[in-house]
Amino acid sequence: MNPALVPRWLFVALAALLLLAIWLSLALGPVNLPLTDTLRVLFGMLGLGSPDAPQAELIIGQIRLPRTLLGLMVGAVLALTGVAMQGLFRNPLADPGLIGVASGAALGAALVIVGVARWVTLPVSIEPYVLSAAAFAGGLLVTALVYRLGRRNGQTQVATMLLAGVALTALAGAVIGLMTYLADDATLRALTFWNLGSLNGASYARLWPLLLVALGVALWLPRRADALNAMLLGESEARHLGFEVERIKRELILCTALGVGAAVAAAGLIGFVGLVVPHLMRLLVGPDHRLLLPASALAGGALLLFADLAARLLVAPAEMPIGIVTALIGAPFFLYLLIRSRS
Amino acid sequence: MRLEYTLAGLCAGLLLSLNALAAELPQRWVSAGGAATEWVVALGGEQRLVGVDTTSQHPASLAALPSVGYQRQLSAEGVLTLTPDLLLGTEEMGPPPVLRQLQNAGVRIEQLSAASDLAALEDNLQRLGELLGEPQRAQAALDDYRQRLGHLQQQISAIQAHTEAPGVLLLIGQGGGNPLVAGRGTLADWLLDQAGARNLAAHEGYKTLSSEALAALDADWLVVTDRQLRGTEMQQALLAQNPALAHSRVVREGHLLTLDPTLLTGGLGPRLPATLEQLAQTFYPDLQPLSADARR
Repeated sequence: MNPALVPRWLFVALAALLLLAIWLSLALGPVNLPLTDTLRVLFGMLGLGSPDAPQAELIIGQIRLPRTLLGLMVGAVLALTGVAMQGLFRNPLADPGLIGVASGAALGAALVIVGVARWVTLPVSIEPYVLSAAAFAGGLLVTALVYRLGRRNGQTQVATMLLAGVALTALAGAVIGLMTYLADDATLRALTFWNLGSLNGASYARLWPLLLVALGVALWLPRRADALNAMLLGESEARHLGFEVERIKRELILCTALGVGAAVAAAGLIGFVGLVVPHLMRLLVGPDHRLLLPASALAGGALLLFADLAARLLVAPAEMPIGIVTALIGAPFFLYLLIRSRS
Repeated sequence: MRLEYTLAGLCAGLLLSLNALAAELPQRWVSAGGAATEWVVALGGEQRLVGVDTTSQHPASLAALPSVGYQRQLSAEGVLTLTPDLLLGTEEMGPPPVLRQLQNAGVRIEQLSAASDLAALEDNLQRLGELLGEPQRAQAALDDYRQRLGHLQQQISAIQAHTEAPGVLLLIGQGGGNPLVAGRGTLADWLLDQAGARNLAAHEGYKTLSSEALAALDADWLVVTDRQLRGTEMQQALLAQNPALAHSRVVREGHLLTLDPTLLTGGLGPRLPATLEQLAQTFYPDLQPLSADARR
């Protein structure tokens, strides 16, 4: 068999899977819409014919479509940055949270959730935006600090950075713990739910910032595929191959901080996608980053959409935080990988 | 003859306009918020409820309704599956983007106040009375509420002229885990104050206290609410968690009271006056709450 054929078929399959996920995410939900209405609304959106189904138009256009787009972008960004981090740390167990961006974002969110309840009054309508901004800023700040701590004599020591990430994650955890202590019953629940992530309440206004960042990351990271391949051999080898290793590292970290920061700001903490998807794709397409990056982006988007379908359908009319679903799928799968690689 | 026709016409017209009025009232309600839901039921609107949130646990018949999840984490599409005319809740209801989506979908959103004071209750009941088409009933409920609390306050201040108010702590048990102690600014604090007790906890909000600190406060009474445990089981769990309490005055004298935890969600609910009267009578045995006959 021609080895080049395998990825091609695989990409066709992944694209089909993603389209299926998008279709299901638009067509299914707690509200049962007739298939004809769904089709009419979708054709109407593409400018073909008038939808003439106001209920379906509202549910698909205002609730499901923004949610689907959010899921796609968050999933793709988390998976892409997961590949970047596993490449940078040359460790298949690395996840995008390793450089402190997730814990920084959680810290920013906790400060706002508890701060708003105790010290500051904000108009209810802008609170979600302030929360997103604080999470994004928190993620960037902690990552910047981790990066600074990892630098010595103009060189970024990946191992030092890893440890700095662990230490700052612990420190952020302590401050979050303090916020938890100060929180009342209701804020405590808000904090817990935020930490489990959700695509609930997605709106176009909150999508645009993430869309810009996600596009940037999705376009930029694949251009560094060759460099990531070279880094697999080791940093000095990559340097001898003519790559500017320091600059590549900086770019990877910046991309991850921006991407994960924006994703977490929009949807809260959603675990395991950034860890499991790159892993799974590596099994299918091999370690070549030129294939691994786009495959992970497609699979990440599809996985998050399927997880979100489960989150909104399983306990309807209520809804489950999506982080529970991704962890329920992700953790056993990860164990399976571990056991398989041992035998 | 003509008079009869006119009268008949008048009656028909009146009936029609009444029907029209009834048709304008929201018929399908989703209620998110413990006290708000209880008021809807108390004012005779239970048959209009098509869904409630997880904090609406009283009366028990609500368990048969579909749950829309936690009041702060509503799902727009989930709520829409119940095709409600109205979503009722408090300012705690959210998240805001979901409320906006629901509003765009034509669901009327009404947010009551969860504040624990009578002014907030008055607004809430007025609004509910209009929404249910039962303004008199709502007004009567409010008057009754006021009257009972007012009478209780009078009696308590009369007794407090010659007796010291008992020092009380209200603990929220967590299935026997380390309990949270209700401090200032909580509904529990308001409850203790209205029942004529002195809340010994000086902190803000709900906090856990160490076993030693609990014993050192040397309360006259402990009021414990627990989601799972009652009576002796609750006491055993509390003592297992806080051994220092075993020799305290409260336990020696058997001054432990249980309270239904669903009383403490979402502002002043309809069951509070009866609870307050009971508590006050326990604290001051010679107190006489207003009898049901005297209230009419």
